[in-house]
Amino acid sequence: MGLFSGLFGKLGVSKKKVKVLCVGLDNSGKSSIINQLKPKKTAATELVPTVGFAVEEFAKNNLNFTVFDMSGQGRYRSLWEHYYKDVTGIMFVVDSTDKIRMCVAKDELDTLLAHADVRNVPILFLANKMDLPLAMTPVDCVAVMELDRITDKPWHISATNAMTGDGLDEALTWLADQMSRSIRY
Amino acid sequence: MQGGQALPPVEAQQSDWQTQGSQWLSGVKDAAMSTLATGGGGGKKDEDEVYSPFLGLEKSQVLQECRVFNDPQLNPRLCAQLITKILYMLGQGEQLSRSESTSIFFGVTKLFQAKDDHLRRMIYLVMKELNPSAEEVIIVTATLTKDMNSKQDLYRANAIRVLCKIISMTDPTMLGQIERHLKQALVDKNAFVAASALVSSIQLIRVNAEVVKRWVNEVQTALQSDNQTVQYHALALLHMIKKQDRLAVNKIVSSLTRTPIKSPLAQCLLIRFVKKVMDEEGGGGERDRTLLEFLEGTLRHKSDVVIYEGANALCGLPNVSQRELSPAITVLQLFLCSNKPTLRFAAARTLNRIAMLHPAAVTPCNMDLEGLINDANRSIATLAITTLLKTGSEAGVERLMKQITTFMSEIADEFKVIVVDAIRSMCIKFPQKHRLLMTFLSNMLREEGGFTYKKAIVDTILELIAQIPDAKEAGLMNLCEFIEDCEFTPLSTAILAVLGTEGPATAEPSSYIRFIYNRVVLENATVRASAVSALAKFGVQLPQLRSSIVTLLLRCLHDNDDEVRDRATLYCSMLQKMEVSPDDVFGIGPAQLCLQPLPVPLLALEHAVAQYLAQPSDEPFSVFNVTMSAEMLAAERKAAHEQSAARRKAENHDGGSRHQMMPGTPGKAAAKAVDASVDYLAKIPQFAHVGPRFSSSKPAALTDPETEYSCACIKHVYARHTILAFELRNTIDDQYLQDVRVALDLAGTAGLEVEVELPCPALPFGVAGQAFILLRRTEAAPTGSLGCTLRFRVREAHAETHEPLDSSAGYEDEYALEELELAAADYMKRLMVADFRAGWEGMGNGGEVIETFSLTYSGLPEAIRAIVDFLGMEVCEGTGTPQDGARTHTVLLSGAFLSGAQVLAIVNLRTESAKQVGMRLSVRSADKEISQFVASCVA
Ligand SMILES: Nc1nc2c(ncn2[C@@H]2O[C@H](COP(=O)(O)OP(=O)(O)O)[C@@H](O)[C@H]2O)c(=O)[nH]1
Ligand SMILES: [Mg+2]
Repeated sequence: MGLFSGLFGKLGVSKKKVKVLCVGLDNSGKSSIINQLKPKKTAATELVPTVGFAVEEFAKNNLNFTVFDMSGQGRYRSLWEHYYKDVTGIMFVVDSTDKIRMCVAKDELDTLLAHADVRNVPILFLANKMDLPLAMTPVDCVAVMELDRITDKPWHISATNAMTGDGLDEALTWLADQMSRSIRY
Repeated sequence: MQGGQALPPVEAQQSDWQTQGSQWLSGVKDAAMSTLATGGGGGKKDEDEVYSPFLGLEKSQVLQECRVFNDPQLNPRLCAQLITKILYMLGQGEQLSRSESTSIFFGVTKLFQAKDDHLRRMIYLVMKELNPSAEEVIIVTATLTKDMNSKQDLYRANAIRVLCKIISMTDPTMLGQIERHLKQALVDKNAFVAASALVSSIQLIRVNAEVVKRWVNEVQTALQSDNQTVQYHALALLHMIKKQDRLAVNKIVSSLTRTPIKSPLAQCLLIRFVKKVMDEEGGGGERDRTLLEFLEGTLRHKSDVVIYEGANALCGLPNVSQRELSPAITVLQLFLCSNKPTLRFAAARTLNRIAMLHPAAVTPCNMDLEGLINDANRSIATLAITTLLKTGSEAGVERLMKQITTFMSEIADEFKVIVVDAIRSMCIKFPQKHRLLMTFLSNMLREEGGFTYKKAIVDTILELIAQIPDAKEAGLMNLCEFIEDCEFTPLSTAILAVLGTEGPATAEPSSYIRFIYNRVVLENATVRASAVSALAKFGVQLPQLRSSIVTLLLRCLHDNDDEVRDRATLYCSMLQKMEVSPDDVFGIGPAQLCLQPLPVPLLALEHAVAQYLAQPSDEPFSVFNVTMSAEMLAAERKAAHEQSAARRKAENHDGGSRHQMMPGTPGKAAAKAVDASVDYLAKIPQFAHVGPRFSSSKPAALTDPETEYSCACIKHVYARHTILAFELRNTIDDQYLQDVRVALDLAGTAGLEVEVELPCPALPFGVAGQAFILLRRTEAAPTGSLGCTLRFRVREAHAETHEPLDSSAGYEDEYALEELELAAADYMKRLMVADFRAGWEGMGNGGEVIETFSLTYSGLPEAIRAIVDFLGMEVCEGTGTPQDGARTHTVLLSGAFLSGAQVLAIVNLRTESAKQVGMRLSVRSADKEISQFVASCVA
């Protein structure tokens, strides 16, 4: 932190920082989505299942995103809660082709919503893998996961394709907009 | 700082951790400023005083501050300061609860988002200190793996350290996942990264040797590194990888002795490995010339550290000869005159250690040592004086003792103990000086001092009492005075026990009673109980004092401590009964009960008594009906083994300085080590009737080293019996041996009968086992060679668990052992005489036998060693080492024969040719037959 970055910060020249948690069951496409959002030259060409978590950064909609890409495997899910505190936004990725595990995803979501640290935080649901033939629509997802009961915090759902990036822009714009409103200085 | 902690300082390539160090310092300063600014410094700020910046740091406040870890607008500098505080707190011994440390840990993991180098280093550091649980810690695996592949050297090196530590603490099997990266890091061109990988591998090999062993090629490459630190760690790791394989170790060593390595520390390490190889080869056979030349070569190295390490190694070689020592002594002598205190200290310490075994070799340094007896560094002065005491003549003792008295009060207890040790060996070398030395010891006893110091003095006095009959009464009196004002319960009880056994045999036993009875009046319960027992010992042994002792014991019947009262009651009634009829208690006579350890373990006795009480019979209870269960036997065996192993370890660790060996009595340390197992022998009911032990031999190997099965035998000699204790080991990992016993061929040796055999029930791979044979001797002292065969049942075992396979019923097998020698030395005990000449003259030539022999030895020292070993007698008056280059020499020997008869011997030796030593052996004792037996045994 040099003198200049400090000055720029005060003058509001640099972009605002937001901290976003990306959760969801394993194999739902979290790492792929984040990889898609990163600048092309830092993006990984090959993804391996995440062990623990990874921190990624990218700029979008005039915000500097710091994303905690959490591993979705069973043994790590209980550790998500340690990262809820002070996040500006949450991305919840659902594999819209995985009907069998949709209820597992719902259980995890219930736990998340019940947690004291997750208050007034905007939640962006991403119904991923929409390109695949058996994908459920966002409306189906809302029904299965009973999203309409969430009344105490802003939420939104979009269908996405992490491979091509389809749907991501619109989704992220919603999240950025929500977060810009809630940022405290 | 991180680098500095784990690595020894090395000039080259320091830039990495130097910058890190300064970063850390600035971090501390920042944190200090912020703490002071917020008033956390505690107390008034005084310009003159230096406060720790973290003085008065409150845990709760620090935990509160940890909120900043969650801040989306992360402030790296603030976070780094906070981590410094946490580290400081942990360093001060502050305990964190599980949930506190969990919350800090997860807070810290969020900081990986910051791109700040300094903060990242603090993250690595604190991560290792927080000790997260296995379930939590996996969360950082991916992040650390990513850092391991970072372009930043700093990230790579530190991530390796942290990840490896986590893996070795939690789940060593995870190593497979990062193996590829670690292998690469071992040969990284950045020294800090390579060194980190090497050090981490040294940690990992303890938990997952299999994987680490696969990296041997990379480690070999690292060993060729230009960087000294890398070289050093690579050598250490390479050695760990090859440790089990002696041939491979020899190969590393010999290849490196040819192509020198640059790093002085690596060179020192190599010297230690060489030394170890030479130790294992033993002093028996020929020395490996190349290794010896290598060690001698290190004495010409340009680094002092290497020179010292080399000299120290040479001095510690097994059976080192005068010629081998002399170049090492020469460089140590130079160090003695160095202006660096460390070198003077190191040299003096090594010389001190070998002075006892090789006084002649150290004598050339005497002038230089004299120059150090006033050294401002008292540790050096102490070592110098005690070395001089060991090498000097009798005449110098007084002067040196006076010199040391002048600063005794200035030196630490640790060094006072060195002085006590020197005095101990002094007494054995010059028994005539015992009065002077005893006075010195008693003065030391009166001074202030800690437990270890006081214990060393008491032990020395006890040893003098045991070794020099003339010193006994004065020694006992000194101890009596000491316990009058002794704050250490264990010492008081030990002394009281000795007073009880030794006091009654003195000229005026009653003089001790007052001191003992004072304890009953003045001391704590433990000491009171010991005093009661000591009084009883007098009562049992001395009929004329018995009634007065009973009177004293009667007064103890009202003691407020149960144990004291119980003992007093038992002894009172026992002594009173003795007046009427010498009744025994539970089958043990009063004398045996008081003076000897119980013939069976307490646990077995307790068990038997409980059973007897549950089902009383008309037969009176007797200890000889006590039986031991198999588990109890096994537990006892294990305990005895652990005890002797611990003792052996302690002896090795002390480098022989605590228990200085006399020249020619190399068996002493080994003999001490077998003591523990002997105590245990006395507790095996089958051996309860053999009485007190007369002597124990050194272990004799009955197999070559590195054979399938190993077997060594210790001979314990008793009045009419000999117990053969066999130490067994099975080195075949897929065999499980059962019912292992040694079959003896007694046909060739008259006078021996097998009375009891205790086979070893099971001998799994790698676990030591024991088997016993109790021989009854129908003749006094049979000697000869006994044929031995190992017999056992073999079952196939699982190669990993070494448990026997159920499918394998097994088969009987046998294995030929070497012959077991019963020698004259087995029936002889080393015994010190105060004045050999007087003893010799006093014995007269009535029982004298003289024999002459021609022996095949290439030098006097070898011949002396062999003879002393063979006769098993004590070397008197320091005659164990011949003058350098001398062609003739006389050794004076003294011992006690099985019957208790004192035996003295004069051995005149002359070098007759390069391979022949002529010997005239004159033996005197009260009984000519004994003399004859001793003399004829050499033939
Ligand atoms: N067809 C398709 N495959 C996807 C999509 N998103 C992810 N995948 C695949 O799903 C698998 C899991 O993706 P990953 O990002 O590792 O999931 P994570 O465990 O949630 O991080 C990978 O093989 C991806 O290639 C998508 O939108 N469409
Ligand atoms: Mg992932």
